[in-house]
Amino acid sequence: MLGGVFHAAVLFLVAAGLQLVFGVQRILNLACGSFYALGAYTGVSAVGWALGAGLPAPLFVLVLLAAGVALAAIGPPIERLLRTIYDRDEAFQLLLTFALVLMLEDVIRFVWGTAPVQLGGVYLVYGQARIASTTVPVYNLVVIAAGALIALGMGWFLARSRFGRIVRATAENREMAEALGVDMSRVYVRVFTLGVGLGTVGGALVIPATAAMNEMGIELIVEAFAVVVIGGLGSMRGAAAGALIVGVLKGVAIATWPEVEMLAIYVIVIAVLVLRPAGLFARATA
Amino acid sequence: MLRVTGLDVFIDASHILRDVSLEVGERQVVCLVGRNGAGKTTTLRTIMGYRRPARGTIAFRDAALERMPTHAIAARGLAFSPEDSGIFADLTVAENIEIATWTRPTGRPGAERIARAYDVFPRLRGYAARGGTQLSGGERKMLSIARALALDPELLLLDEPFEGLSPAIIPTLAESLAAITRLGCGLLIAESNIHHVPPWTDRLYVIERGEIIFAGTLDQAHRDGSVLRVIGGKAS
Ligand SMILES: Nc1ncnc2c1ncn2[C@@H]1O[C@H](COP(=O)(O)OP(=O)(O)O)[C@@H](O)[C@H]1O
Ligand SMILES: [Mg+2]
Repeated sequence: MLGGVFHAAVLFLVAAGLQLVFGVQRILNLACGSFYALGAYTGVSAVGWALGAGLPAPLFVLVLLAAGVALAAIGPPIERLLRTIYDRDEAFQLLLTFALVLMLEDVIRFVWGTAPVQLGGVYLVYGQARIASTTVPVYNLVVIAAGALIALGMGWFLARSRFGRIVRATAENREMAEALGVDMSRVYVRVFTLGVGLGTVGGALVIPATAAMNEMGIELIVEAFAVVVIGGLGSMRGAAAGALIVGVLKGVAIATWPEVEMLAIYVIVIAVLVLRPAGLFARATA
Repeated sequence: MLRVTGLDVFIDASHILRDVSLEVGERQVVCLVGRNGAGKTTTLRTIMGYRRPARGTIAFRDAALERMPTHAIAARGLAFSPEDSGIFADLTVAENIEIATWTRPTGRPGAERIARAYDVFPRLRGYAARGGTQLSGGERKMLSIARALALDPELLLLDEPFEGLSPAIIPTLAESLAAITRLGCGLLIAESNIHHVPPWTDRLYVIERGEIIFAGTLDQAHRDGSVLRVIGGKAS
């Protein structure tokens, strides 16, 4: 159960990035899973390097966050590349973002090799907590808290900040926003970079609890799409609710009946598609 | 202030605008009148940079707009209120109006620009906290124009501001438009019903099948046989 919530927190970050980029730029970005994988690998390297340089072990989570955030710097050049397909149809967008997935996989293979990379036991420095007869690493609770904080922060940002309001206006009616002086290329770069950052931070945070593997990006993108279908395309609250549903379901399935893990997720996906095709939190307008 | 010369616009393969020229002087009110499908919206959208002309020039003060992106055109002081109002339903009335003050800083403080918008459309003041979906068609038109005014523009392009309004609000809106001109703003209004053209219009163009077939005053238009054949037959 708590393992599920931990997974949900990370899944939320990736799905939120997917939602944000789709909502504003109308691009279904398959590569958001690759940003997550890249965040994981970079996180391992950064923490390894920082500990080697004498960093006190309890500070490693800050290194992970910093690595995830810094990695968002790949956002602007990639957005530049995607600019050519904004006005093309979805098939081109999927093709190009899939090409990006393959390219980033190669980058990972080139830099880190093909064997899984692991961080070891640093994440246990915070110890274990005993909650209702199960023990969980305190680190997992830290990640859940971080996910919740980021979700609240995103909510505040979109609802209250100037740029958030401009982002929502753009998502709803791009041409009208432009006529009101909004420079779309600037909004797109920032939104895309934010989306990349959510993915890379998600990957960096998950890594202490698992091993970085090249397939992790593809695996996660499948789940992130399930989240998006369940929650509703383009909706942030949908991303949060969908991630919780998928994450907890997966956690429960793994604990009770591991064979049906993916099946259980897809039963929900299909149920949502049949009963509420636009998702649980479909926007009235989009 | 705005000078459009020899505009040719194609949509897909159809020739939609042919050699369209028109002019709006400083602080002038100009109406572009024509039946549905005549090319009014296309003219305004081309001026706003949504469509690129195949030929022709669009000059605003000293700037050539015909290759400029829309946001840069807005930054020069051209504001647009589209036919469908383009209200952001996800934002409140107040936020709809404020956006323009964030994107285009001018000599006038944001608070003053917002106050001017509400002064012209006092009804909106009571709705400030409402969402964009909780407005009637007429209120949406007003909000769309108020928002354009908050950009602190030199010239406002209005696409069919009177369309779909109940006869009771039409004079109110006309009075608001007059108030906007008193603030020193020029107006270029697209209109399909010549009876909606305000009497204080400086000049009127009639467009038919993508071509300007008349340019002159409202009085001259009422006396022109070809104008009456195209749009005069429509009862108000
Ligand atoms: N997006 C479009 N695709 C195809 N044809 C269009 C499009 N927009 C306008 N047209 C055509 O261009 C002509 C002029 O339309 P428009 O400028 O909207 O006229 P008006 O605003 O005067 O009613 C019409 O014949 C219309 O069918
Ligand atoms: Mg029209």
